[in-house]
Amino acid sequence: MEARLEALTNEYQKLQKDLSNAIESRQRLDSQLQENEVVQKEFKLLKDDATIYKLIGPVLVKQDKIEATSNVDKRLEYIKSEIKRVENQLADLSEKTEKKKLEVIEFQRTYQAQIQKTSSS
Amino acid sequence: MGKLRPDKRPFQLSTTEGNNMSTSTPVKQIELNDLDLTQLAEVKKQLEEELAHLTTSFEQLKQAQARFQDCIDSVKTIKGGNEILVPLTQSLYVSGELVDTDKVIVDVGTGYYVEKNSDDAISFYTDKVEFVKKNVETLRQTIVTKQNNLKSTIDIMQYKISQGTASTSLQSK
Repeated sequence: MEARLEALTNEYQKLQKDLSNAIESRQRLDSQLQENEVVQKEFKLLKDDATIYKLIGPVLVKQDKIEATSNVDKRLEYIKSEIKRVENQLADLSEKTEKKKLEVIEFQRTYQAQIQKTSSS
Repeated sequence: MGKLRPDKRPFQLSTTEGNNMSTSTPVKQIELNDLDLTQLAEVKKQLEEELAHLTTSFEQLKQAQARFQDCIDSVKTIKGGNEILVPLTQSLYVSGELVDTDKVIVDVGTGYYVEKNSDDAISFYTDKVEFVKKNVETLRQTIVTKQNNLKSTIDIMQYKISQGTASTSLQSK
């Protein structure tokens, strides 16, 4: 009985941890999205012959505007799809956590009742 | 790499603070008076945590703003003259001469750098400063509302405590 309760609580805690991880990555994705959008906006303002460098490791490498723009567009698309994925994951996880919580509470109640029964008899 | 940071932080912060707002304010406004002391203490703790988080964000935004302002000033300074001391180490410098003071390379974020003339660079950074300023303003307002919320929570707590002691003292009489 006790082992079962412990296992349940562990599962619940694990779910909670997953949930906060998912929230964290959702926030990280959001900031990446914002940053990339700013870069995209900046690229739109540039002339076509503007010189763009990309930082690769410690070196600045020259890159075409077209290539850089498509790169950022692709990244934005990827980030957006990632956000959708994490969002689904979040919904799924919070539902699971809620369910697990009820399960734990329910089990605690029966456990408590059991103890009372044994102590009174 | 450190340069990337001032770009990233403000955005991230503005979004997290938006989340906090939407989740926590309605809950408080509806129930504050019905809560008992332990729950109120819980609310107070949560509010304090949020406030601390928001205040650090505020500081960081202020710093970012100052950094962008520094960039503007630097671009303006190099336009003034073309002599420069180049740091080789932290304590060793050589004098150098700037060949082209009108061309600068600007970090636009996510690892991309764009070559600009100094006027464009200045306007780029001015836009950034404006952007951050706007964020600072909204953040300031959020902080003020949070502080008010915290204050009213504490008020109600004190009221409840005084009520509680009054009723117990009545009972003891």
